[in-house]
Amino acid sequence: MLLRLTFNWQVLISNSYSLVRSFHSLFYLLLLGLSITLAIFFSSKVNANETTTSDSQRFKIHGFISQGLIDVNGSDFVNDDGKLSAELTEIGLNATYQLTDNLRVAGQVVYLEGGNRFAKGTRIDYALLDWSVFSSQQWQANIYLGRFKNNHWLYSSTRDVPFARPSIILPQSVYFDGFRDIAVGSDGIASKLSYSFADYGDLDWQISYGVSPISNKQTSNLLSEFAQGSATQDYDAQTSLYWHPEFSAWRFGLSLLDASFTYQRGRPSTENIFFDSNFIFQFYTFNALYEGESWEFSAEVYQQRFVIDGFYSPTFKLDDIGQGFYLQSRYKLSQRLTLLARYEDFYLDKDDKNGKEQEQNTNGAIPYYFGFHQDTTLGLNFDVTSNFAIRAEYHWVRGTGRLSPVVSPNIQLNNSEGWQMWAVQLKYWF
Amino acid sequence: MAIEVVTHPNVTDMSLTNLQLRRIFTMRQLRWSDDTPINIFVLPSQHNVHQRFSKQHLKIFPYQLNRIWHKLTYSGLGVAPTIVQSERELVNAIINTPGSIGYIQDTGLIKPWQSSQAKEIKQVVSLNEDRQDQEKIAKNDSLNINTKGVVNVIKINF
Repeated sequence: MLLRLTFNWQVLISNSYSLVRSFHSLFYLLLLGLSITLAIFFSSKVNANETTTSDSQRFKIHGFISQGLIDVNGSDFVNDDGKLSAELTEIGLNATYQLTDNLRVAGQVVYLEGGNRFAKGTRIDYALLDWSVFSSQQWQANIYLGRFKNNHWLYSSTRDVPFARPSIILPQSVYFDGFRDIAVGSDGIASKLSYSFADYGDLDWQISYGVSPISNKQTSNLLSEFAQGSATQDYDAQTSLYWHPEFSAWRFGLSLLDASFTYQRGRPSTENIFFDSNFIFQFYTFNALYEGESWEFSAEVYQQRFVIDGFYSPTFKLDDIGQGFYLQSRYKLSQRLTLLARYEDFYLDKDDKNGKEQEQNTNGAIPYYFGFHQDTTLGLNFDVTSNFAIRAEYHWVRGTGRLSPVVSPNIQLNNSEGWQMWAVQLKYWF
Repeated sequence: MAIEVVTHPNVTDMSLTNLQLRRIFTMRQLRWSDDTPINIFVLPSQHNVHQRFSKQHLKIFPYQLNRIWHKLTYSGLGVAPTIVQSERELVNAIINTPGSIGYIQDTGLIKPWQSSQAKEIKQVVSLNEDRQDQEKIAKNDSLNINTKGVVNVIKINF
């Protein structure tokens, strides 16, 4: 039983936020107050100085709406009954307002529906104050306060933006939908430092520190049956470095993540079985991107470390290292039609890559194929206009190591190593 | 047909290197040399002039520009250029927006005062399709010209 749950560490982390909720409300009230104060303070200054930012350029609104169909055979990735589903909806609306030459506020609200993939509903995607600390022809330094997007991985900042990611379903090992609400961003402080060399190209260094909230619905979806206590995220610290050599088609990136969580059992009872515990999650990635006129290649290679101290028993210890990569190629057949091919390979424990050990240790309760995830994807994207596109793709998957709900994996529905899915999606943006 | 880079008359930078131009359109340089903010106007990504400007002047593929701009716009990290639907709309936006920069086809411009006065009053352009305005401008005495309808044409040093 204990081991059955150990490989499902993602869920444990995702329960971390119920206690933090009151803190978040307070945080946003403070942020809102700060923004309004700053806006009032600087608006008088703005009027007096006649700054050069034209009024029409101060305020901008953008958004997107997309709807798709998805059909999964052989797993509960989207739904339990395996039928064709329209649970593939993504809607977003954002606004930015330039308060002064150096201060800007921005926010985005998104509505997501993805079936079992993540909690359905509306959420504040980001809400931030952007302070341009320094800006010159070669340097940019910005500090972001509030709720900001994770901008450290290749597609993390636009994973919910249908036309700004490479496929309808992203590589689940990095962009695991069950882990979305925590990985998508944080509430706290972030900074970005950009420098453009005359000869060596562009360098971007980013650092962020914060905590992530998670909806009650997702927490209950993933954990309630087993963990009745409450969890908090202590911190989420990330940094990344990107280098784009001048006039090169290549770009290279590195990212590091370190996060810590605490679980508190509360009042023990026969149903409240898990113990006070600490979790550590670390994630390192290296990525490379090639953007040519017709061909494009991208890859992310990564390693994660997950440490459990407690939870199953006061003395329980687990320290697993998972590894993976994906290789992606896109070919522009014409200005409007792009083809996609991708291969992804991921295992949750590098010492048990085929999951056999786990199957033995659980006396067959957890089939070996819950230990890995391999996805071969083919797809195409057609840009009908500059603002409207259609996308279709097919996935052949081996392994069920990246499925929600993860605490109680559905062995009945996910009873085979191989499963497939196809999806089509219409996308409009402005 | 050549493409010209145009700015609002209050922009003091009269020439840019192609590296600077690329930094500006990829949102890595947000201010002119006098520290005033840059406002960028572009045509839709599938517009022929945009495609050519992107490849020839910026040495970057239009889809790469889209990615950079989409990332800024939809992740809250920054602000992307304003998209306008036609060259005429683009020129109007440049005329009316201090600190602005954009691009337009050479054939879409007339340059009534490329004589000796051109140096003093900068270059004056308007759209061919706008016949009436063109005539009005042509009838004006160059020394009395209203700044409305005037844009700078920027020299790009490759």
